[in-house]
Amino acid sequence: MRDDLKVGVFLCECGGNIADTIDLDEVRDALDVEFIGQFENLCSLNGRKIIRDAIFDYDLDRVVVAACSPISHEKTFQDYVKPLNPYLMDMANIREQCSWVHSDKKKATHKAITLINASIEKVKQSDAVDPIYCQTPKEVAVIGGGIAGMNAALSLAKQGTKVTIIEKSPSIGGHMAKIGKVFSPVKIAEECGMCLLNPILNELVWNENIEVLTNAKVIEAERRAGTYNLIVEQSPRYVDPEKCIACGKCAEVCEVEVPNDWNDNLSMRKAIYRPFGQSYPEAYVIDMENCSKCGDCFRTCNMKAIKLKRKPEKLLLQVGSIIVATGHKLFDMEKRPEYGYDRYDDVITQSELGRITGVNGPTKGKLLKANGEVPKRVVMIQCVGSRDEKPDGHKYCSKICCTVALKNANIIKHKYPDTDVLICYTDIRTPGMFEKYYKHTQENEVRFLRGRPGEVVKKGDNFIVRTEDTLKGEFVEIEADMVVLSTAMEPSEGTCEIAEILNVGTTEDGFIKESHPKIKPVATDVQGIFVCGTAHDPKDITDSIMQATAAASKVSEYNYGGVEIEPFIAEIDKEKCIVCGECIARCKYKSMSIQDDEIYIDPMSCTGCGKCLVGCNQRAITVNGNIDEKILSTINGVLSKKQEGERMILVFLDNIGYTAADNIGVNRLSYPESIHIIKVISVNRVRPKHIRYALDNGADGIFIGEFPGDLMYDEVERKIQRVKDRISEMGHNHERITFSKVYIPYFSGLARKFNDFDKKIAELEEGK
Amino acid sequence: MKEIPDKNILLFRSCLVSVEYPGVESSTKFVFDKLGINYAISEKQTCCTGLGHYSDVFDQVSTSAIGARNFRIAKELERPNLVMMCATCYAINKKSVKLLNKKDDLREKINKLFDENGLAHLKYEKGDLKPTENIFHVVDILYNKIDEIPDKIKYDLSGYTIATHHGCHYCKVHYEDTIGGVRDPRIMDDLIEACGCKTIGWYDHKRSTCGTGFRQRYSNRELSFSATADKMNAIDDEDVDILVHLCPNCHIQFDRYQHLIGEREGRKFKAIHLNITQFIALAMGGDLDKVIGQKAHTVPINSIIKELKEVEK
Repeated sequence: MRDDLKVGVFLCECGGNIADTIDLDEVRDALDVEFIGQFENLCSLNGRKIIRDAIFDYDLDRVVVAACSPISHEKTFQDYVKPLNPYLMDMANIREQCSWVHSDKKKATHKAITLINASIEKVKQSDAVDPIYCQTPKEVAVIGGGIAGMNAALSLAKQGTKVTIIEKSPSIGGHMAKIGKVFSPVKIAEECGMCLLNPILNELVWNENIEVLTNAKVIEAERRAGTYNLIVEQSPRYVDPEKCIACGKCAEVCEVEVPNDWNDNLSMRKAIYRPFGQSYPEAYVIDMENCSKCGDCFRTCNMKAIKLKRKPEKLLLQVGSIIVATGHKLFDMEKRPEYGYDRYDDVITQSELGRITGVNGPTKGKLLKANGEVPKRVVMIQCVGSRDEKPDGHKYCSKICCTVALKNANIIKHKYPDTDVLICYTDIRTPGMFEKYYKHTQENEVRFLRGRPGEVVKKGDNFIVRTEDTLKGEFVEIEADMVVLSTAMEPSEGTCEIAEILNVGTTEDGFIKESHPKIKPVATDVQGIFVCGTAHDPKDITDSIMQATAAASKVSEYNYGGVEIEPFIAEIDKEKCIVCGECIARCKYKSMSIQDDEIYIDPMSCTGCGKCLVGCNQRAITVNGNIDEKILSTINGVLSKKQEGERMILVFLDNIGYTAADNIGVNRLSYPESIHIIKVISVNRVRPKHIRYALDNGADGIFIGEFPGDLMYDEVERKIQRVKDRISEMGHNHERITFSKVYIPYFSGLARKFNDFDKKIAELEEGK
Repeated sequence: MKEIPDKNILLFRSCLVSVEYPGVESSTKFVFDKLGINYAISEKQTCCTGLGHYSDVFDQVSTSAIGARNFRIAKELERPNLVMMCATCYAINKKSVKLLNKKDDLREKINKLFDENGLAHLKYEKGDLKPTENIFHVVDILYNKIDEIPDKIKYDLSGYTIATHHGCHYCKVHYEDTIGGVRDPRIMDDLIEACGCKTIGWYDHKRSTCGTGFRQRYSNRELSFSATADKMNAIDDEDVDILVHLCPNCHIQFDRYQHLIGEREGRKFKAIHLNITQFIALAMGGDLDKVIGQKAHTVPINSIIKELKEVEK
């Protein structure tokens, strides 16, 4: 019956990309279908009319588009075949996997015919199915209440979305609250950071769509059908924010003094304290680790706001998407003992200098050394922990430290023109408008020396900074009475923890990895989780805010549009299912669960790998889409075009492997014409019977590639080994089957493996 | 921390130790015996080529071939753990194992040379030894037994001002394998603390080279000695009595040239120079002549250590 279906084939010349290598006239002659047409640029808007007209004129049941890779244009052509169901169209990839990897026209043409024929046979097995749309809950969790998290939350709240900010510390505000001044490269002026932050903070506090949880962190996360269940642990403040009026009487009577971490430990605070003047919630908090529990504050508080017996609470939060804005921390100076940070009071970091020069800081904005004098000679050392290939260093540039040093140097120069400021730099990186600020700093008589100091030592009352002046090629010793270190930005502990809890990918440096550095800069590799700010990589306030609003916008997209899922996933026949739970145990993707005494399959996490099918004794599970039949027909479609003496190797790849294979073409590398790539939804769906069938019917070799990061990798590897053993028993040479790791970026390796495998198969043939 | 062996050890002899400070070898054996470490020495073993290699006399092929030969000796004795008394032997041998395992062409070339010269039995097979698991410095072995050191201490050396000089070839070549830090190396400070003493810890130029630089000492004397002088001045500023070493190259540079550099600097330096094993052996009651080998020292050990007082138990 399926053989009677009317198939139309549309050949795309791709502006010569295809037609220059493949003889399309010969292709047209070789194929026996209801309709076959050839066009210059099928993906252009004209293509829609051409395809639709042909579908009506020839009463087509199925369509094959022979053009570029489905990765590029499958969505386009699924749309162009309307009113046909989108899944009744299949693409034959004769560009990335044919014209771009082969140069012999005759062989390339024959291969194109083979690939199109395979598509024709495959599409005959397709049935009309509808994509599954999933709507996720609209609520959003923003993890981290710094400048990035605040802006992301505010943007979403203003669009009507309910947002919960989960902040680990007792106040939102993050690093920006403590940096003192910020500067604008265009205005060439420094301005008060808190004055810019405060309006944002106020707006956020007053927005009814935002709930702020401070002293809180996510300790567990689970995803079910697009809903994230977050378990948030909130430590008590021991002061009821509803009652506290922040009068400060409690702190006056508190006798415990500890270093004030908000001031980088440069001043002292009480055990009951308010982190900073504008902190939110506007309430005091008790640092229980240091509290002596004397009860003085309790007795003093007129508002009866102090609650010493509060216990940590666990809250459940259900959200549809998550924005990770957990920020950065600064390089641990213990790793650079040569700079003497732990030994000398007047060796400080840029962050501490920001506190010292901040009017709300420990010295009320006066630049003072530990002994209370104004420094006469300040030396700044750049790239401390950044651009450093030595142990414990970071290879990356922390991006903001050049401009931070320039800003702080200018602030010193404004207030103390007689103080000499020298910046020892590796390279000054001030792209765009920042370059003007660099010039301005030079005009302000800040001095620059190119060289990375080796060490800072104290001789008498002075520091000696030893460095090579790399422009002069001379060794120099610089005297100074204050040394400021521009420390690297690294992922905060919160960032590392949340990456693990949410299972989102990180870079080798521990930052949260975006799903594509160019075109998907705020999505992570987990659907519904987005990233912004310095949790993602080092960046400044402006970039953090831009990325935060971009993340908010992506969440809105997600909330509005829902998620479209390919329908080729497992389905349960509830009549047959006895809820034995075998499939739940088998599923590596944890997509199955029992809900209301029935097996529930989460369409968002099911990959259609088919693992559950094997364990179901009731045969109650099916995977939609005739996948077995499609694979068989594709194999048939390829092998039926085998010519006398032609070597045919079938390569089975899933989306990741297929993308890697496309990249071989995109980069114009080559591999033998014998390689025929068959795209499957999951490599696990290639069954032993498929492999045996292919070998029995003319395939010379079978190559199966799998991404080692796939949860099914080990399983597939074992399965292939079993198939090899069986095949040997049945008289085939098991060397005709190979299993290989594939990685998207490592396309050249894949090309080499194709070449090697082809060579090996050729040798086997000769041996015969 | 990485796995450190206490048996199947080939104690790798060092030319400089044998020729200049034989007390380092006798002290190492003395301390190893006290700590129950199972080791042996082979007469077949040769020099690592270090001095010649870093003076551009031996190229890497010759050096790795010599290495392969020594590794074969260790394998034949079923003592695959090579433990070096000299930081240069340590770095050279570690590098050779890495190269022989990783560089197929180098290994094949050396094996071919062995074949052609009737030395096929010396051939190195990829993975025969592993750089991290088989190549150690004496300090690594001692550090692994650090908890057992305090019980064996006989003399109290805590009255002296002690500083450490960690050799570059232990700290700065194979970072990944260095124990106790590389920016502020502390492995010897920790070992000395296990002997009941305190070191001064960080001091100016703690991480600097001794200045030897192999051929630099002879061909580029001024550069070599000004580096040594920087360090000697810094040590004298801290009033150090004992500078503790882990490499005989550094040991020579400081002990043999201290007087000369003192004249150059117009300053009388007083520190004596002990290898870490000499220091521990001394604290464990090793004889100054038979174990420590004090007669080989240029700066007399007894100029500082005039009497030894037993620790109060």
